[in-house]
Amino acid sequence: MLNYALLVHAAPYSHQAALSALRFADAIVTGGHRLAAVFFYHDGVHNASALMSPPQDEIHLAEGWKRLHEDHGTQLLVCIAAGLRRGLLNTDEANRHGLASHNVEAPFELTGIGQLVDAMLNNDRLITFAP
Amino acid sequence: MQLHLLNRSPQSTAVYRDLGEAFGADDQLLLIEDACYAALPAASGVIEAFGGRVSVLEEDLVSRGLAGRVSPAITVVDMKGFLALTETHERCVSWF
Repeated sequence: MLNYALLVHAAPYSHQAALSALRFADAIVTGGHRLAAVFFYHDGVHNASALMSPPQDEIHLAEGWKRLHEDHGTQLLVCIAAGLRRGLLNTDEANRHGLASHNVEAPFELTGIGQLVDAMLNNDRLITFAP
Repeated sequence: MQLHLLNRSPQSTAVYRDLGEAFGADDQLLLIEDACYAALPAASGVIEAFGGRVSVLEEDLVSRGLAGRVSPAITVVDMKGFLALTETHERCVSWF
């Protein structure tokens, strides 16, 4: 069994990369490996939006990521700097910036770039999916 | 020994050129997403540089209507095959 981490640079629904990453994530856990973490960076932070509302007959990417956390304990790490720039905030950050609402909720976590380095160093494989 | 993941169509010539320069003797290339178009016989000139160590992802071929149109020199793999390539290669580099 190998420990995997994924790095996702792509926004949902604007490029195939986010869907490719989710499909590969499913292959990892189905294949008997552990997916320790997914790190969402650059436009990939939009995968963490709690307000994502695709049509019901389409794949719900945010729900797909959450399912990985619920079923396999995968950490869902969102770059805080990339998130703040793009309006992806949890309640703490919304309060800190005096904003009326938030759109990042558990199990997605706003974290620093150090968590990406940690995922690179402490897992057997890091696979990048970018637009 | 590295696995290279490529998702750009052969029209992105600079990416293919850079990848060709970085491609080692024991490396393997997996074509995904729009890079599937590089698996067609018409694009064989682009793929020649990778010495027959090229695979393409079946799911992405099918979604583009390209199944069954792949050059004989290229191996078609499914998601399990993609996973297997990452198991056997310690490092995976993505080109985009």
